[in-house]
Amino acid sequence: MYGWIWRHLPGNAWVRGIIALMLILAVVYALFQYVFPWAEPLLPFGDVTVDGASAGGAGAGR
Amino acid sequence: MSVRLVVRTFSELCITVGALIVLFVVYFLFWTGVKAADAAEGEIDTLQSQWASEPVAPAPPSASASAEPSDPAPYRGGKPFATMHIPRFGSGWEWPVLENTEVKTLQKGLGHYSGTARPGDTGNFAVAGHRRTYGDPFKDFPKLRPGDAVVVNDGTTWFTYRIAKKPHRTVPTDTAVVDPVPRSSGFEGAGRYLTLTTCEPEWGSSHRLIAWAHLDATRPVSEGEPPELAD
Repeated sequence: MYGWIWRHLPGNAWVRGIIALMLILAVVYALFQYVFPWAEPLLPFGDVTVDGASAGGAGAGR
Repeated sequence: MSVRLVVRTFSELCITVGALIVLFVVYFLFWTGVKAADAAEGEIDTLQSQWASEPVAPAPPSASASAEPSDPAPYRGGKPFATMHIPRFGSGWEWPVLENTEVKTLQKGLGHYSGTARPGDTGNFAVAGHRRTYGDPFKDFPKLRPGDAVVVNDGTTWFTYRIAKKPHRTVPTDTAVVDPVPRSSGFEGAGRYLTLTTCEPEWGSSHRLIAWAHLDATRPVSEGEPPELAD
Protein backbone atom coordinates (compact mmCIF):
# COMPACT_ATOMS: atom_id res chain seq x y z
CA MET A 1 0.00 0.00 0.00
CA TYR A 2 2.64 2.53 1.08
CA GLY A 3 4.99 1.22 -1.63
CA TRP A 4 2.26 1.69 -4.20
CA ILE A 5 1.68 5.28 -3.11
CA TRP A 6 5.41 5.98 -3.17
CA ARG A 7 5.77 4.60 -6.67
CA HIS A 8 2.91 6.73 -7.93
CA LEU A 9 4.17 10.03 -6.54
CA PRO A 10 5.84 12.24 -9.14
CA GLY A 11 9.35 13.67 -9.05
CA ASN A 12 12.55 12.52 -7.46
CA ALA A 13 13.00 11.21 -3.93
CA TRP A 14 13.00 14.69 -2.34
CA VAL A 15 9.83 15.80 -4.04
CA ARG A 16 8.15 12.54 -3.18
CA GLY A 17 9.25 12.89 0.42
CA ILE A 18 7.75 16.36 0.70
CA ILE A 19 4.50 15.29 -0.93
CA ALA A 20 4.33 12.25 1.35
CA LEU A 21 4.83 14.48 4.39
CA MET A 22 2.05 16.76 3.26
CA LEU A 23 -0.22 13.78 2.72
CA ILE A 24 0.51 12.55 6.25
CA LEU A 25 -0.22 15.99 7.71
CA ALA A 26 -3.47 16.18 5.78
CA VAL A 27 -4.54 12.79 7.12
CA VAL A 28 -3.63 13.76 10.70
CA TYR A 29 -5.55 17.02 10.34
CA ALA A 30 -8.60 15.19 9.04
CA LEU A 31 -8.41 12.72 11.92
CA PHE A 32 -8.12 15.41 14.61
CA GLN A 33 -10.69 17.69 13.06
CA TYR A 34 -13.39 15.26 11.98
CA VAL A 35 -12.81 11.59 12.77
CA PHE A 36 -11.72 11.71 16.43
CA PRO A 37 -14.34 14.24 17.58
CA TRP A 38 -16.92 11.92 16.06
CA ALA A 39 -15.46 8.77 17.63
CA GLU A 40 -14.72 10.23 21.05
CA PRO A 41 -18.29 10.38 22.46
CA LEU A 42 -18.66 6.68 21.65
CA LEU A 43 -16.19 5.97 24.44
CA PRO A 44 -17.41 6.03 28.04
CA PHE A 45 -15.07 8.67 29.48
CA GLY A 46 -17.42 11.57 28.87
CA ASP A 47 -20.17 10.30 31.13
CA VAL A 48 -20.30 12.78 33.94
CA THR A 49 -24.02 13.33 34.40
CA VAL A 50 -26.70 11.38 36.16
CA ASP A 51 -29.08 9.99 33.56
CA GLY A 52 -32.34 11.63 32.73
CA ALA A 53 -31.71 14.50 35.08
CA SER A 54 -31.43 17.01 32.27
CA ALA A 55 -33.86 17.58 29.48
CA GLY A 56 -30.99 18.18 27.09
CA GLY A 57 -28.82 15.31 28.19
CA ALA A 58 -29.52 13.23 25.12
CA GLY A 59 -25.94 12.21 24.62
CA ALA A 60 -24.29 13.12 27.86
CA GLY A 61 -25.61 10.25 29.87
CA ARG A 62 -24.58 7.42 27.65
CA MET B 1 5.61 -13.79 -4.34
CA SER B 2 1.99 -13.61 -3.31
CA VAL B 3 2.89 -14.72 0.22
CA ARG B 4 5.25 -11.82 0.43
CA LEU B 5 2.51 -9.47 -0.76
CA VAL B 6 0.12 -10.78 1.89
CA VAL B 7 2.71 -10.46 4.67
CA ARG B 8 3.65 -6.98 3.56
CA THR B 9 0.05 -5.80 3.36
CA PHE B 10 -0.65 -7.27 6.77
CA SER B 11 2.35 -5.53 8.34
CA GLU B 12 1.39 -2.24 6.77
CA LEU B 13 -2.09 -2.64 8.15
CA CYS B 14 -0.71 -3.29 11.64
CA ILE B 15 1.51 -0.22 11.45
CA THR B 16 -1.42 1.89 10.29
CA VAL B 17 -3.69 0.70 13.09
CA GLY B 18 -0.91 1.25 15.64
CA ALA B 19 -0.31 4.77 14.40
CA LEU B 20 -4.06 5.47 14.53
CA ILE B 21 -4.26 4.34 18.14
CA VAL B 22 -1.26 6.43 19.17
CA LEU B 23 -2.76 9.46 17.42
CA PHE B 24 -6.10 8.92 19.12
CA VAL B 25 -4.47 8.73 22.54
CA VAL B 26 -2.63 11.97 21.80
CA TYR B 27 -5.90 13.56 20.71
CA PHE B 28 -7.76 12.27 23.73
CA LEU B 29 -5.27 13.07 26.47
CA PHE B 30 -3.69 16.19 25.06
CA TRP B 31 -5.65 17.79 22.28
CA THR B 32 -9.05 17.77 24.00
CA GLY B 33 -7.39 19.68 26.86
CA VAL B 34 -6.02 22.28 24.46
CA LYS B 35 -9.42 22.65 22.81
CA ALA B 36 -11.26 22.89 26.15
CA ALA B 37 -8.84 25.46 27.60
CA ASP B 38 -9.31 27.54 24.48
CA ALA B 39 -13.09 27.18 24.51
CA ALA B 40 -13.38 27.88 28.24
CA GLU B 41 -11.28 31.00 27.91
CA GLY B 42 -13.50 32.15 25.05
CA GLU B 43 -16.65 31.54 27.10
CA ILE B 44 -15.23 33.48 30.07
CA ASP B 45 -14.30 36.35 27.74
CA THR B 46 -17.82 36.30 26.33
CA LEU B 47 -19.26 36.47 29.84
CA GLN B 48 -17.00 39.26 30.94
CA SER B 49 -17.72 41.45 27.94
CA GLN B 50 -21.41 40.69 28.41
CA TRP B 51 -21.24 41.69 32.06
CA ALA B 52 -19.24 44.78 31.22
CA SER B 53 -21.71 45.95 28.59
CA GLU B 54 -24.97 45.48 30.42
CA PRO B 55 -25.68 47.43 33.59
CA VAL B 56 -25.30 45.31 36.68
CA ALA B 57 -28.76 44.40 37.88
CA PRO B 58 -29.53 45.78 41.31
CA ALA B 59 -28.65 43.23 43.95
CA PRO B 60 -31.58 41.75 45.84
CA PRO B 61 -32.38 43.85 48.92
CA SER B 62 -31.04 41.18 51.23
CA ALA B 63 -29.82 37.61 51.12
CA SER B 64 -33.06 36.52 52.71
CA ALA B 65 -35.18 37.71 49.79
CA SER B 66 -36.47 34.27 49.00
CA ALA B 67 -39.28 35.40 46.73
CA GLU B 68 -37.68 35.54 43.28
CA PRO B 69 -38.24 39.04 42.00
CA SER B 70 -39.76 39.01 38.50
CA ASP B 71 -38.64 35.76 36.88
CA PRO B 72 -35.30 36.43 35.16
CA ALA B 73 -34.82 35.43 31.54
CA PRO B 74 -34.08 31.72 31.17
CA TYR B 75 -30.51 30.70 30.42
CA ARG B 76 -29.85 29.91 26.78
CA GLY B 77 -28.75 26.35 25.99
CA GLY B 78 -25.02 25.95 25.49
CA LYS B 79 -24.33 29.55 26.57
CA PRO B 80 -22.29 30.57 29.60
CA PHE B 81 -23.94 32.39 32.49
CA ALA B 82 -21.53 32.12 35.41
CA THR B 83 -18.00 31.29 36.41
CA MET B 84 -17.01 28.80 39.08
CA HIS B 85 -13.95 28.84 41.31
CA ILE B 86 -12.88 26.04 43.63
CA PRO B 87 -9.78 27.03 45.61
CA ARG B 88 -9.18 23.39 46.59
CA PHE B 89 -8.45 22.63 42.92
CA GLY B 90 -5.90 25.43 42.67
CA SER B 91 -6.01 29.21 42.98
CA GLY B 92 -6.24 29.67 39.22
CA TRP B 93 -9.04 27.15 38.82
CA GLU B 94 -11.77 29.02 36.98
CA TRP B 95 -14.29 27.46 34.60
CA PRO B 96 -17.36 28.83 32.88
CA VAL B 97 -20.73 27.30 33.71
CA LEU B 98 -22.88 26.74 30.63
CA GLU B 99 -26.55 25.91 30.37
CA ASN B 100 -27.43 22.23 29.79
CA THR B 101 -25.33 19.07 29.99
CA GLU B 102 -25.01 18.06 26.35
CA VAL B 103 -21.79 16.54 25.07
CA LYS B 104 -20.87 19.68 23.16
CA THR B 105 -21.55 21.91 26.14
CA LEU B 106 -19.38 19.89 28.49
CA GLN B 107 -16.52 20.16 26.01
CA LYS B 108 -16.42 23.91 26.66
CA GLY B 109 -16.78 24.04 30.41
CA LEU B 110 -19.07 22.90 33.20
CA GLY B 111 -22.71 22.13 32.43
CA HIS B 112 -25.69 23.27 34.48
CA TYR B 113 -28.45 20.67 34.64
CA SER B 114 -31.35 22.39 32.90
CA GLY B 115 -34.30 22.62 35.19
CA THR B 116 -32.33 22.80 38.41
CA ALA B 117 -32.09 25.99 40.44
CA ARG B 118 -30.04 29.05 39.54
CA PRO B 119 -27.06 29.98 41.67
CA GLY B 120 -28.20 31.36 44.99
CA ASP B 121 -31.82 30.32 44.54
CA THR B 122 -33.72 27.98 46.78
CA GLY B 123 -33.33 24.50 45.37
CA ASN B 124 -30.37 22.69 43.93
CA PHE B 125 -27.90 24.34 41.57
CA ALA B 126 -26.54 21.19 39.87
CA VAL B 127 -23.42 21.22 37.71
CA ALA B 128 -21.62 18.45 35.81
CA GLY B 129 -18.03 18.44 34.63
CA HIS B 130 -15.42 16.20 33.05
CA ARG B 131 -13.04 14.49 35.39
CA ARG B 132 -10.64 13.50 32.64
CA THR B 133 -10.10 14.89 29.15
CA TYR B 134 -11.40 18.27 28.00
CA GLY B 135 -9.16 20.10 30.42
CA ASP B 136 -9.72 17.73 33.37
CA PRO B 137 -11.79 20.32 35.30
CA PHE B 138 -12.85 17.89 38.04
CA LYS B 139 -9.62 15.87 38.16
CA ASP B 140 -9.15 16.47 41.90
CA PHE B 141 -12.80 15.85 42.76
CA PRO B 142 -12.05 13.24 45.47
CA LYS B 143 -9.92 15.82 47.32
CA LEU B 144 -13.00 17.89 48.19
CA ARG B 145 -13.54 18.02 51.92
CA PRO B 146 -16.30 19.41 54.14
CA GLY B 147 -15.97 23.15 54.44
CA ASP B 148 -14.25 23.65 51.07
CA ALA B 149 -15.49 26.70 49.23
CA VAL B 150 -17.16 26.55 45.83
CA VAL B 151 -17.52 30.10 44.57
CA VAL B 152 -19.90 31.02 41.77
CA ASN B 153 -20.11 34.41 40.06
CA ASP B 154 -23.17 35.16 37.94
CA GLY B 155 -22.11 38.66 37.00
CA THR B 156 -23.92 40.43 39.82
CA THR B 157 -23.19 38.33 42.89
CA TRP B 158 -20.51 36.07 44.31
CA PHE B 159 -22.10 32.98 45.85
CA THR B 160 -19.91 31.04 48.26
CA TYR B 161 -21.04 27.49 48.83
CA ARG B 162 -19.50 25.15 51.41
CA ILE B 163 -19.02 21.46 50.73
CA ALA B 164 -21.10 19.48 53.20
CA LYS B 165 -19.39 16.10 53.15
CA LYS B 166 -16.84 14.00 51.33
CA PRO B 167 -17.73 13.07 47.74
CA HIS B 168 -20.44 10.46 47.49
CA ARG B 169 -20.23 7.55 45.05
CA THR B 170 -23.39 6.48 43.31
CA VAL B 171 -24.74 4.88 40.15
CA PRO B 172 -25.45 6.81 36.92
CA THR B 173 -29.21 6.36 37.21
CA ASP B 174 -29.41 7.96 40.66
CA THR B 175 -31.01 11.19 39.50
CA ALA B 176 -32.29 11.96 42.99
CA VAL B 177 -28.87 13.43 43.78
CA VAL B 178 -29.81 16.57 41.83
CA ASP B 179 -33.26 16.89 43.39
CA PRO B 180 -34.08 20.19 45.13
CA VAL B 181 -33.41 18.39 48.40
CA PRO B 182 -30.88 15.79 47.27
CA ARG B 183 -31.22 12.28 48.59
CA SER B 184 -28.27 10.88 50.61
CA SER B 185 -26.84 14.36 51.02
CA GLY B 186 -27.89 14.64 54.63
CA PHE B 187 -29.70 17.90 53.89
CA GLU B 188 -33.14 18.16 55.39
CA GLY B 189 -35.77 20.53 54.11
CA ALA B 190 -35.57 23.13 51.41
CA GLY B 191 -32.43 25.18 51.14
CA ARG B 192 -29.96 26.74 48.74
CA TYR B 193 -27.86 23.80 47.66
CA LEU B 194 -25.24 23.03 45.05
CA THR B 195 -24.47 19.64 43.52
CA LEU B 196 -21.40 18.74 41.48
CA THR B 197 -21.30 15.52 39.47
CA THR B 198 -18.49 13.81 37.59
CA CYS B 199 -17.53 10.30 36.55
CA GLU B 200 -16.15 7.56 38.75
CA PRO B 201 -13.76 5.79 38.43
CA GLU B 202 -11.45 8.37 36.98
CA TRP B 203 -11.27 6.77 33.53
CA GLY B 204 -14.54 4.86 33.65
CA SER B 205 -18.23 5.42 33.61
CA SER B 206 -19.69 2.73 35.83
CA HIS B 207 -20.39 5.18 38.66
CA ARG B 208 -20.64 8.88 39.42
CA LEU B 209 -19.06 10.99 42.12
CA ILE B 210 -21.30 13.58 43.74
CA ALA B 211 -20.44 16.50 45.99
CA TRP B 212 -23.00 18.63 47.79
CA ALA B 213 -22.68 22.09 49.21
CA HIS B 214 -24.95 24.66 50.79
CA LEU B 215 -24.94 28.42 50.33
CA ASP B 216 -22.80 30.07 52.96
CA ALA B 217 -22.44 33.68 51.89
CA THR B 218 -23.27 36.09 49.11
CA ARG B 219 -21.50 39.27 48.14
CA PRO B 220 -22.29 41.81 45.44
CA VAL B 221 -19.73 41.84 42.67
CA SER B 222 -19.21 45.55 43.31
CA GLU B 223 -17.61 44.69 46.67
CA GLY B 224 -14.90 42.62 45.02
CA GLU B 225 -13.87 39.02 45.27
CA PRO B 226 -14.84 37.04 48.35
CA PRO B 227 -12.02 36.29 50.81
CA GLU B 228 -11.99 32.61 49.80
CA LEU B 229 -10.36 33.55 46.51
CA ALA B 230 -7.74 35.80 48.06
CA ASP B 231 -5.17 33.12 48.81
